[in-house]
Amino acid sequence: MADGTRAALAIAAKDLRLEWRSRSALLSAVVFAALVLVVFNFARDPTAVSTIDLAPSILWVTFGFAAIVALNRAFTVERQHGALAGLLLAPVPRGSIFVGKYLANLVFVGTVELVTLPLFVLFFNIDLTGSLPGLLLIMLLASVGFVAVGTVFSAMAVRTRFAELMLPVLLLPFMVPPLMAAAQATARLLSGRPLSELAGWLRLLSLYDIAFVTLSILIFPAVVDE
Amino acid sequence: MTADLAPARRIIRRGRLLTLLGLVGEVGIFVRALMFTPVEATQGLAQKIFYLHVPAAWSALFLGFGLVGVSSALYLWLEDPRLDRFAASSAEVGVAFSCVMLTTGPIWARPIWGTWWSWDMRLSMTLLLFLLFLGYLSLRSALDDRSERGRYSAVIGVMALVLVPFIHLTVYLFRTLHPQPIVLKPSAPSLPPEMLITLLSGIAVAGVLYLGFVTMRYGIALAREVTEDARHE
Amino acid sequence: MNELPDNGNYMVAGYVVASIIYLVYTVSLFIRAGKAERGER
Repeated sequence: MADGTRAALAIAAKDLRLEWRSRSALLSAVVFAALVLVVFNFARDPTAVSTIDLAPSILWVTFGFAAIVALNRAFTVERQHGALAGLLLAPVPRGSIFVGKYLANLVFVGTVELVTLPLFVLFFNIDLTGSLPGLLLIMLLASVGFVAVGTVFSAMAVRTRFAELMLPVLLLPFMVPPLMAAAQATARLLSGRPLSELAGWLRLLSLYDIAFVTLSILIFPAVVDE
Repeated sequence: MTADLAPARRIIRRGRLLTLLGLVGEVGIFVRALMFTPVEATQGLAQKIFYLHVPAAWSALFLGFGLVGVSSALYLWLEDPRLDRFAASSAEVGVAFSCVMLTTGPIWARPIWGTWWSWDMRLSMTLLLFLLFLGYLSLRSALDDRSERGRYSAVIGVMALVLVPFIHLTVYLFRTLHPQPIVLKPSAPSLPPEMLITLLSGIAVAGVLYLGFVTMRYGIALAREVTEDARHE
Repeated sequence: MNELPDNGNYMVAGYVVASIIYLVYTVSLFIRAGKAERGER
């Protein structure tokens, strides 16, 4: 295994181990997601729009906000202990630092999404028969993209005065294409539309992933280098 | 050490001249659009906002936003502080033109479409880009270190440039898969010559105004930096 | 014979709003330029 890959996996493993040890961040993110779902339910007029029409949008807005909450903690640990400087001094390629952080974030966000999904099914009475694999695919494709951008932005936001506010302000415009595509694809999937109708949206998600993961890997050194 | 503000003053002077030129030009456009351009047959007088709205949009998006993206990419490559200064100036000027665009748009839309806003492709995109501009500027104001500020802004600038085609694609997909009642788009594909001339002159004048604004803003940024550096010595 | 819709007020509003924005921004630039040239912040 190449050194770079080994380093990336080591960084990812370290981050995930830290998260798992305290688990408070994971728990808070899940509780947050659950609360967002509940608030949506209270905030809407049940007679105005049917649940099934709104459900996909609610799901993806929830995932989006939960991802931002999750990403906000991505670099705060490093910042608190000045550990990023240490990491940069080590002979680790910058690309590996990004990939390591990115993988850890992806696992974190993915976990929050997977735990939130059954709550969504429960609260909104969704029938997932036959749709689950497709939904998991959409979740994967969408998350891969915006978590990459979010990883770069959280590294920058953490150095500003209002990090928790700066990250969403910067990231939300970038989440519009993946969240929109994911919501549209989910809506069609859950109403049993044929796969061909999802194809366009899935293609958009894949293209976004390729473009932004590549760009993030290339641009991350500009964020951490002096 | 005393600050040498002469170069900055020269730039500001040039900028003031160009700005005044642009403003005089705008007055000319107002006169031409309001008094010497025929009224559009179906839309009436409100259509004349078109001659302000389109040039402002053009300056905001192609000049303002586009140049922020390009100079950000160049800054990441060349690390020349002038590029960063220019990007910041272009972003602020872009916001100013965007304000004109986003106010004249709905004022024009209300009598023509019957609604202040619609999630039409162009409107959605321009609103999102405006919010990106604002995010860019708020990031800059939250960072004090010049090198960090330059690099981080440039990262946003480049990523925003890559984002644009995706927003385009997303809204296009949304529109084509959601049949909408036909909305009359108040942009005439074939404009009679008097209207075309007014429009093109409007765009040219907005370009001059952009140049004036950006030059002044650049000069201000340079002067501030020079003053700050002198204070630290 | 087509009657033109009566929306002249909107036209005036549009032109007034645009002028205000351009003028306010110009004034802001001129004020900041003056301060910057004098070496103030």
